[in-house]
Amino acid sequence: MFRLTLDSLLARKFRLLSTTLSITIGVAFLTGSFLLIDTMGRAFDDLLSDVNQGIDAEVRSSEVIETGFGDIRGRIDASVVDVVSEVEGVEAVEGVVVGYAQLVDTDGEAMGNPGQGAPTLGFAWTDIDELNPMDLVDGTAPLAPTDVVIDRASAKNGPFSVGDDITVLTQAGPQTFVVSGIATFGAADSPLGASIAIFEPETAQRLLGEPGRYDMIDIVAAEGVSQSELRDRVAAVAPAGTEVITGEELIAESQNDIAEALSFFNTFMLIFSGIALFVAAFIIYNTFSILVAQRTRELALLRSLGARKRQVLLSVLGEAVVVGLVASLIGIAAGAGVAVMLQRLLGVIGLELPTDGLVFQPATVVWSLVVGVGMTAVSALAPSRRSAAVAPMEAIRSAAVERTGLSLSRLAASLILLGGGIAVLGWGLFGEPSSTALIIGIGAVGVFLGVAALAPIVATPFADVVGRPIAWLRGVPGELARENAMRNPRRTATTAAALMIGVGLVATISIFAASATASINKIIDDAIIGDLVIDSGTFGFGGLSPELATRLNEVPEVEAASGVRLGFADIDGEAQTVYGIDAETSGRIIDVGVVAGSTESMGVDNLAVFDEYAAEQGWSLGDTVEVMFAETGAQELTIAAIYQRDELAGNVFIGNSAFEANYPSVFDFQVYVLGADGFTTTEVRSAVEAVAADYANAEVQDLSEYKQGQADQINQLLSFVYALLFLAIIIALIGIANTLALSVLERTHELGLLRAIGMTRRQLRSSIRWESVLIALLGTALGAVIGVFFGWAIVEALRDDGFSELRFPVGQLLIAVVLAAIAGVVAATLPARRAARMNVLGAVAAE
Amino acid sequence: MTSLDVQTITPSTAPASSAELATKEFGEGSTKVRALDEISVAFEPGRFSAIMGPSGSGKSTLLHCLAALEPLTSGRAFIGGTDLSDLNDRELTELRRDRIGFVFQTFNLLPMLSAEKNITLQRRLAREKVDREWFDTVVDSLELRDRLHHRPSELSGGQQQRVAVARALINRPETIFADEPTGNLDSSSGQEVLDFLRRAVDEFGQTVVMVTHDPGAAAHADRVVFLADGRIVDEMADPTTELVLEKLKDLGS
Repeated sequence: MFRLTLDSLLARKFRLLSTTLSITIGVAFLTGSFLLIDTMGRAFDDLLSDVNQGIDAEVRSSEVIETGFGDIRGRIDASVVDVVSEVEGVEAVEGVVVGYAQLVDTDGEAMGNPGQGAPTLGFAWTDIDELNPMDLVDGTAPLAPTDVVIDRASAKNGPFSVGDDITVLTQAGPQTFVVSGIATFGAADSPLGASIAIFEPETAQRLLGEPGRYDMIDIVAAEGVSQSELRDRVAAVAPAGTEVITGEELIAESQNDIAEALSFFNTFMLIFSGIALFVAAFIIYNTFSILVAQRTRELALLRSLGARKRQVLLSVLGEAVVVGLVASLIGIAAGAGVAVMLQRLLGVIGLELPTDGLVFQPATVVWSLVVGVGMTAVSALAPSRRSAAVAPMEAIRSAAVERTGLSLSRLAASLILLGGGIAVLGWGLFGEPSSTALIIGIGAVGVFLGVAALAPIVATPFADVVGRPIAWLRGVPGELARENAMRNPRRTATTAAALMIGVGLVATISIFAASATASINKIIDDAIIGDLVIDSGTFGFGGLSPELATRLNEVPEVEAASGVRLGFADIDGEAQTVYGIDAETSGRIIDVGVVAGSTESMGVDNLAVFDEYAAEQGWSLGDTVEVMFAETGAQELTIAAIYQRDELAGNVFIGNSAFEANYPSVFDFQVYVLGADGFTTTEVRSAVEAVAADYANAEVQDLSEYKQGQADQINQLLSFVYALLFLAIIIALIGIANTLALSVLERTHELGLLRAIGMTRRQLRSSIRWESVLIALLGTALGAVIGVFFGWAIVEALRDDGFSELRFPVGQLLIAVVLAAIAGVVAATLPARRAARMNVLGAVAAE
Repeated sequence: MTSLDVQTITPSTAPASSAELATKEFGEGSTKVRALDEISVAFEPGRFSAIMGPSGSGKSTLLHCLAALEPLTSGRAFIGGTDLSDLNDRELTELRRDRIGFVFQTFNLLPMLSAEKNITLQRRLAREKVDREWFDTVVDSLELRDRLHHRPSELSGGQQQRVAVARALINRPETIFADEPTGNLDSSSGQEVLDFLRRAVDEFGQTVVMVTHDPGAAAHADRVVFLADGRIVDEMADPTTELVLEKLKDLGS
């Protein structure tokens, strides 16, 4: 029987080509994702261990706020350095200063994309080799207050050479320095694309941190002293409010933090691989169903010769497994190419991964094989069972017309599957279980499978109705296309279902994005009274100098300019984003919907609270709340106002004075500007731009430009997602071509007859093309329906998170329909050509 | 006859279908087979002609070449006055569509179309209107009126073949080529089909060229041409079943 399996396979090499192709693509994507995840993980692990390898122990503040973006700690006093240096076994000690420093290139543009990509960092120079991860390759270390050493990547991009002037943006605003030296990070021009600016220590404290304070203190052990020993000795003398950890613990901790941050990205990649494989599964199921149907006679013959049911099942299943194995192996090899491609995509947003060596773990190969072969086997299981059920008598009977209806039990099972899928999806979206992504995924899969199972019911009427104009327009070829699509509803439906997945997800994401954009636009319209928004391109780390807002307020064309700041604090044990809004000017520019109290006279001890949050916490106007800041510790603040709109102000905000008191590094991440009466918008804008020109990272926009900018950001993310979904759609189109090719082989006699009685080759190709179009349109229609449902569900679930609008991008959906039709034509190209080239006579000759 | 002579003959007296020194070879080198060996034959319009011979005689091949389904290796085939070797694939296809009717032994009908749609298929491929009067005449004489909306799977073998004949007739072709049209039918259904073909020739002036191995079928024809080893070896006019049977026996020895 095994021999039979092999022979059978070789005879049908071509028929299995498309199946192999779709499995290969799916597995290649899975392997590529694994490779990328492992490579990224390794790159960051290496980076963190390289950066920290010389550190034997570190002293840092024990006050920590754990946010989703990383841990935030306060600074410690510089005097701790003196205390530590007295400890026996300490070879060297250095205070570390790290903060926001963005370089400006020779064209005056701010360099880097810190909001979305690698950060822009500034450090204090240290002569202690072990504690300095950068290597000077040109020039000298920074000695004067105006000196700065930059990374080589930035030097190349600037372009800058030693001795050039360079503007750097820090909390002290834009200032000019001289490039005293250029450094590399080991062999790389920069650490994974991050830009580095290093100043002499006192200057660094002033520009990046606080004079007299350090972010942490790093220690090198003397020879013979172990890290843990050193830690214990230093801990004995370290003051209250600090903690000491070993270098190893530090490395492990940071590697862990990065791994957590990356896990979101990892899940994302694996989900897409899953989608590609899910689509491939449909194709495998379909192909083997068709093959089994075509080989009914052969299988019946085997059974009449005495082959047992199990032998037949294993033979067919064996074919599937062999195909899965070969395809998976090819896919694993191709995965390397996919990983490289994905790396390039990441480079576009500014994350530069090392190009030497992809990390190829044995687990990757094992998992890819298991998934590839397993999925193939599972998908081919039902057709294999059917092959075993072929009765010996069917060797003699001619091919029967396919049952067009669904049996009652199948119908019931499909409805249960669909209902179950919707229920699970609903739970995942609205019920807030743990591992939300997984639950939503399972629900979505259930819905897709349920619809696919019910699709045969829809297939015939759909082909009937949609095929009518085609038949009317294209005559007999169109009529035949319609009839052929109608006669085999199960096959038509399963083929179309593969496309439905890709289209459905694209539709979902489109609705999500359109709704997101509309919601954001509404927020902007409702909440911002101002005319201009100045954006810094950062979020939470660095930003615009507060000087900008101050200067703008002095400009006659400006009625008010209000900067918004962002920080974190612990309230009631939970990390909260604390906004800093200038109470004096903000009321005129930002409408937060104050319902109690007032924001006008908010002092250093006040805060304003969102009404829903206040209700949750049981607070009212005038209550005192304990807020834990990283720098200043626990502070008692009194609620001076309660507001209704949280879109711009979050759960909690404080005034400028309070912000400056509790956060030493003050940046505005956005500035809102209201023009003064009596000036035209153009005049206001010119005046504002004149001032903003001094701040390279300030981007001045009016409200419609700002809305566009937000929409662009969403669209950029969308493009990445669309590119990945495109893959799933390609696989589905291969599936359609596959089905058509196999159907053509099945209909040799009919096609021969048609050619004999006078159908031209062109008419034949046309017929096959239109059949393909019908299948593609069915898949698109089903996908659109599911997409609308999913899109609606997601937006509903996110109502509380700011999604006030539900939008259906009808234009985009219509384009999708047209593209589906075109794709149908493309998918039919090869099968149509083969059909037309067929020898007429061979087909009609009596058997 | 030279080709020049054939082309100058007016259509009404040109043979409906003819071949001139037609040769057809299959295969290459040592496996080469000569199915037709320089056959020259002409079939008159308005007549029922039969081609007979033992298996391997080349009779089906001859029919396929005459009917523009298969190209000759050398020599020429004509439909009316048209030399088939002058035509490219599209022209040949259109010729089959407009000027020829086919009845095959099996697989004559498209399974997903009704009888009526099958009958009108050839005309509709040409994007031509179907003459309703003619349609009614054909359908009624073939006794298919109450079967028009049935699919092939709902028809008996005999009914299916009658539908095929109807399709061939609707076209009003210059010639109907039939390849063992009764081969798969029981004797009474087969008789019916042959009777209809005969009537088509007698009542409508149709030309029919039929390949058969059955002497009883050949007896319906006006003329029988006998093939052996790719050559015409004999002819008979006004055949009867017994005469044909005897002739076949003679040829067999």
